[in-house]
Amino acid sequence: MTALLSAEGITKSFGATRVIEGIALSIAPGEPVGLFGPNGSGKTTLVNILSGLLFPDAGTVRFEGKEITRLPIDARYRLGVARTFQIPHPYPALSVHEALRVALAADPGNRSAGEGARGDEEGAIEDLLARTGLFNQRLVPCALLSQGCLRRLEFARAFACRPKLLILDEVFSALSALDEKELLDLLLAANRDDGTAFLLVSHNPPLLKSLCRRILVLEEGRIVRERRV
Amino acid sequence: MLPSFRGGWPAAGIGLLLLFPLSSPDAFFLDVFTTGFLLAAFAASWDVVGGIAGQVTLGHALPFGAAAYACALLTSLAGWPLPLAVAAAILLAAAVGAGVGTLSAPLSGPFVALLTLALGEIAHEAAAGNTFFSGPGGYAWGGEGGIPVALPWQDAPPFASYYVALCFLCLASFAMLRFSRSGAGLILRAVAGSPITAQASGVPIARFKRLAFTVGSAFAGATGAGFAIHVGRATATDLSLELSFQAATFAAVGGRGTIVGPVVAALVLHVLFQGLSLPPAARVLLYALTLMVTLRFFPGGVVGTVREAAWRVRWKNGTGSFRRRGRGRPGEGGS
Amino acid sequence: MSPLSQVLLDGIFAGGTYALMAAGMALILGVVKVINLSHGAFFTLGAYVAYALAERGIAHPGAAALLSAAIAFAFGVFLGKSFVNPIRSHPFALPVGTLACALLFEQAAQMVWGPHPLSIETGAPWVGPGGLLIRRWGAIAFLSSAALLAGLKGLLATRPGLPLRLIAEDEEIAGSLGMDVEAIRYLTFGGACAMAAAAGALLSPSGAVTPTMGRAPLILSLVVVIVAGMDSIGAIFLLSIGLGILGNACAYLLSPQWSYVALLAAVSLLLAARPAGIVVLAGRSD
Repeated sequence: MTALLSAEGITKSFGATRVIEGIALSIAPGEPVGLFGPNGSGKTTLVNILSGLLFPDAGTVRFEGKEITRLPIDARYRLGVARTFQIPHPYPALSVHEALRVALAADPGNRSAGEGARGDEEGAIEDLLARTGLFNQRLVPCALLSQGCLRRLEFARAFACRPKLLILDEVFSALSALDEKELLDLLLAANRDDGTAFLLVSHNPPLLKSLCRRILVLEEGRIVRERRV
Repeated sequence: MLPSFRGGWPAAGIGLLLLFPLSSPDAFFLDVFTTGFLLAAFAASWDVVGGIAGQVTLGHALPFGAAAYACALLTSLAGWPLPLAVAAAILLAAAVGAGVGTLSAPLSGPFVALLTLALGEIAHEAAAGNTFFSGPGGYAWGGEGGIPVALPWQDAPPFASYYVALCFLCLASFAMLRFSRSGAGLILRAVAGSPITAQASGVPIARFKRLAFTVGSAFAGATGAGFAIHVGRATATDLSLELSFQAATFAAVGGRGTIVGPVVAALVLHVLFQGLSLPPAARVLLYALTLMVTLRFFPGGVVGTVREAAWRVRWKNGTGSFRRRGRGRPGEGGS
Repeated sequence: MSPLSQVLLDGIFAGGTYALMAAGMALILGVVKVINLSHGAFFTLGAYVAYALAERGIAHPGAAALLSAAIAFAFGVFLGKSFVNPIRSHPFALPVGTLACALLFEQAAQMVWGPHPLSIETGAPWVGPGGLLIRRWGAIAFLSSAALLAGLKGLLATRPGLPLRLIAEDEEIAGSLGMDVEAIRYLTFGGACAMAAAAGALLSPSGAVTPTMGRAPLILSLVVVIVAGMDSIGAIFLLSIGLGILGNACAYLLSPQWSYVALLAAVSLLLAARPAGIVVLAGRSD
């Protein structure tokens, strides 16, 4: 079966510093994969390359068999590869509801004008708000949200494109127990019911073991170990 | 998250403006208001680019002046009928905007300002030094004297210009407001607020930045053509840095992103400064001073500061925590 | 005497002096992290101070430069402290705000001295080999600028310059080391404005003094800093000389307006062609 996401020979340097070297990985459709590594191991750079914020110096990235190495992040989102940010940059002047409208506008199915499409959009937003527990905050300006709600919004935004692959950058760190549990359940449900694959970056081994089927260990820019759970 | 207009005060304002000429004021004041209406529309067009989309342009006089010159050249040199020339002028302004938007899309804020400033100044220098055109009758074509617009009428009565300009202002502002409240407008606000989140939400930001520039420049071009018709000629000052600066000032003082704020600020400031018959140098100086004071003490402009205070009051009682006590508020209208 | 070698010499003198202004722009960009569009206005201020002194019979480059530097430092510190520092956190405010300063000054100068070009008499130039005219002020300007820049380079390389380099690199560390980052910022801003004004005073006799004369030097400083970067004063000096020669040649062969347009075209091409470099220079995400 073709891998959902595959990467080969990914290398990236910043100036004289080689941050990642020769990374190869693949994620099967619906597969939950973890990425573990200490600070400075190149996790964030790798995540940025896989999600399209950065382009590698060498190597290729493929999604569903098609090469996407130089495809920018917004195009990848429209293909169904969504990422969350460890430190979100919320819109200062938009409400939660509006933020999700923006995300849904990217979906070709929603872009057509007309009543039917609009009704679908409203319904889709309400669904996202309900799943992530943000319904009561839907009119709040994003910049005024608490950290926990910002993370929920990150999830909502990522789910808005009905993603086939989620790339989650430290999305569970520094959350309250309740927020963490709810978001974990949400992620597991998406994986189980919708077949959404994910790549979870974390430095919390028990969390990775409980969620992922496979864990990649990154150290000084290379994948040194791959553990099956 | 846009202010809704409770109380109908804009209608009251328009009503007053409609009644004003009936009080038989001096032709000078009618002219001041007419120019003010055009400048207000120009300020609103800046707001589409610099307020809603957050792309601070210091070269908004470029599409304005380009349209003015296109109008003048097409009617005087090529003998086109005025409506056709105006349409072509607006298209040219839109194309200029698309070009500028394409060039500035990869740049971050201060460098957008620098690039647009440079492009505007290039155009201004070209027009100011330009004496290519020498027409019959000993006109000072080109250069500081400008290029005349061939008008089908002799002398427009001041009150007619006044009403036409007011009508244009209302229509243009209405159109720009609708644009700002549309889906595209929302996406532009997202791009302005957090480009990275917008990108991660699937928005091709370069394309939308270009859209903002194109739409804003098209309206600027309409204003420029109108100005050239009103004054009767296109001059190099239509491309000047001072004019670009005025647009940014009106928006900053009135409140960026609101469309209405810049319109009101433009009307008030222009009528005030020009009505007092201050010399041009003093006027620009006062604009600069007003801008500096506004930036220092009211970063959101008049409208922005009020709105922000209102938000803080409204949302201060528990916003972020997921576990709010009690039920959520029922859906409010007005987004 | 070949006119071109005269153009070359005058261009070297001018460019070397512009380097002082460009270095000031680099300092502001690095330490205060602002694109200062009012830099040209301080250049103009220096020129008008030199003119005012010359009107009163004091046509001495050193006096003109020192007085302009002092006045500009005072204004610059005031501006930096009361305006630039507080609005730094609003990305919109900075280019527009500094442009407002520039226009404010241009209009004030026009109201005080009028819009017409003024000129400063400086006496006969020395005559060099081959009949080459060496303008006194030009030579003094070049040498002073070179000396000041060497001094600046020395300052930045040693301990007293450490706060500046640290703030340019990482503000938080600088703050946590107990440095008064705000004070260093507005003092640096004032110092850079003084450098621009000194350059303006020293170059004032070589052309006409008009209210908007600072616009071209502003663009020149920006081009230099974008291309040469903020790190190497030597690069800034050399590139400024290069641009000075080119600008002078342009003004001689075509007209002064064309050299301004050439600079504008240069900055536009730079910005259009190398966005990645610009992002690095900006140092802050948008």
